[in-house]
Amino acid sequence: MKRIGVAILGYGFMGTTHLAAWKMMDDCRVLGLWGRDKSRLNDVASKYGVRPYESFSQIIDDKDVDVVDICTPTYTHRKLAVEAMEAGKHVIVEKPMALNLEEADDMISTSRRTGVKLMVAHVLRFFPEYMKAKDLIDQGSLGELAVIRAWRGGPAPEWSPWFMDLGKSGGVTVDLAIHDVDFAIWINGCMPSEVYAKVANLVHKSHDIHDYALIALKFPTGCIALLEANWALPKSYPFTMKLEVDGTKGMIHLDNQSPTPLRLWTESGVEGFSPETLPWKPGVHPFPLDPFYREIRHFVECIKEDRMPITDGVEARKSLEICLAAMRSAAENHPIRIGG
Amino acid sequence: MKDLVRLGFLGVAHFHADSYARVAKKLSNVEIAGVYDRSPGLASQFAENFGLRRYGGPEELLKDVDAVVIASENVLHHEYVLKAAEMGKHILCEKPMAVSLKQADEIVKTVEKTGIKFQMCYVMRYHTVSTLVKELLADGRIGKLLAMNGTNKLNRALPLSRQWFTDRNMSGGGAVMDHTVHLSDLMRWYADSEIVEVYTVIGRNVNSDIDVEDNFLTIVRMENDVIGSIDGSWTYASGHYTWGDVTMELVGSDGVLVMDAFRQNIYYTGSDKLSWHYYGCDPDTLMVEDFIRCIREDTRPKAGVYDGRQGVAVTIAAYESSRLGRPVKPS
Repeated sequence: MKRIGVAILGYGFMGTTHLAAWKMMDDCRVLGLWGRDKSRLNDVASKYGVRPYESFSQIIDDKDVDVVDICTPTYTHRKLAVEAMEAGKHVIVEKPMALNLEEADDMISTSRRTGVKLMVAHVLRFFPEYMKAKDLIDQGSLGELAVIRAWRGGPAPEWSPWFMDLGKSGGVTVDLAIHDVDFAIWINGCMPSEVYAKVANLVHKSHDIHDYALIALKFPTGCIALLEANWALPKSYPFTMKLEVDGTKGMIHLDNQSPTPLRLWTESGVEGFSPETLPWKPGVHPFPLDPFYREIRHFVECIKEDRMPITDGVEARKSLEICLAAMRSAAENHPIRIGG
Repeated sequence: MKDLVRLGFLGVAHFHADSYARVAKKLSNVEIAGVYDRSPGLASQFAENFGLRRYGGPEELLKDVDAVVIASENVLHHEYVLKAAEMGKHILCEKPMAVSLKQADEIVKTVEKTGIKFQMCYVMRYHTVSTLVKELLADGRIGKLLAMNGTNKLNRALPLSRQWFTDRNMSGGGAVMDHTVHLSDLMRWYADSEIVEVYTVIGRNVNSDIDVEDNFLTIVRMENDVIGSIDGSWTYASGHYTWGDVTMELVGSDGVLVMDAFRQNIYYTGSDKLSWHYYGCDPDTLMVEDFIRCIREDTRPKAGVYDGRQGVAVTIAAYESSRLGRPVKPS
């Protein structure tokens, strides 16, 4: 069977992370990389040994490209995704899928009309601890869900200026809180009926950005959720995710900082390791444990077996809708009813 | 290269056999022929759980396979390994390899003579985290390795789940026999040196209903003067939220590594008590995959027959030390 040809758009943190995952797959080949800044593009392309494309249209015209992987800034997603799908390419696009629902709907309808796969890279669904939490919930270990508390935070992504521009990234609500919103929707199996939020710029006053969000959700099942997303943390703060779910029969708790299975202490400080964050080494680790690998593998299998990805456009639109409602709630300071 | 490896289960009294079968069923280059166990009830249950054929005897199974998993009661490993090796079948052998040094040496001789692939189920050599420790040591991240302090505890309820674990005639002993070898093997691997001195104390049982020891503490010295300790006691309270652990603190001249290999768990509390649900790497999968790779690609297992023999030597020395009340050199 012919190998799946892949072109990657974007050479930042996510683009190179996806590139590394694609390169592990024997049944796929990375044909090349494209981004706006020529000199950065050439640097990254030569570092990873892939071809730098001259232009996006060169990718569109390349018959060998089956998949376009979009890891560019959020505000560019719609145009690139729609053009790629119109050219018959399957598209995996980084989360959030878009900045507003009009863009999201355009992407969804294009995917329907052209018949290609569209997946939004909500990688949290491929983290082993969140997969395990979902399993426990699905097995009924928690009974009916009652209270969810999720926490997610780290230093603001100032390394990429567009993140710090509300009009380009959507800020901490649309870019970061969307992970836990998506997870809360996934485990409840339905949309919340009401959203209330406080959103703020706590420590990045020189930017037009939100760096802190508190979001309360009410689900029609009776489950309630409180999500905190935080970019107002010191630069030395490790990226931290916590989750607590309380149900009628039991509760679960996870914290990505406490279960570090290996720590190295030296005079210069402490360094933590876990299998999911290790670089994959063939022969040493027979298969990669990296959630980004699992995520992209899921997309490849959906293409091969003609299935819908678990985070297709319709599913990803849900968390975007809630995050946008949260921002509106904060601006208007009242709860927003969903779907009513 | 051999495309499909036909695998049999020769003895499934050890509950790890269930995990290996779960893994083998997932592998596309493995076909499971079936199972033999001396207990017809256990064999039927295993065959039913995994949808496998039952064989009437070890020879019948061995004739029909390329390789076997031997996860019988400890005292039967020797007989089964010799049979399988003489018939040229590759072997994945549950630990401990044997219950006496004489048995262990016979196994080494036979395996070397027949040239089969023999892999020990020293699963920690395949666990991603303990493998990373080896790499960090090789990279010099803590300088020169000086000491290792390890635990491989077990929940006291687990050895009771299969009767033979606490029957000396079938297991060859209690916690010392069961839980010395994972850590002694990691220590040999990390220090790249043999254990030359073993001192072991055995305390009063936490479970007075069983007639094998359920706890011990061992201190070892290695040929290169690295020192270490092993606590492999079956003493986690039955109400504890997990099965046990594999931890190690490695002290070096320039730093300390702290490993808690099965630390990645979701904490779940129901109406009775807190429990842990593991989401970390799956070392059984990595180990069985490597066994199949060794057969198909003619590579060497990470833990072979000599590593199995050395584990038995340390275990026997530990019993002797505890009996004599002094350090003993493993033979």
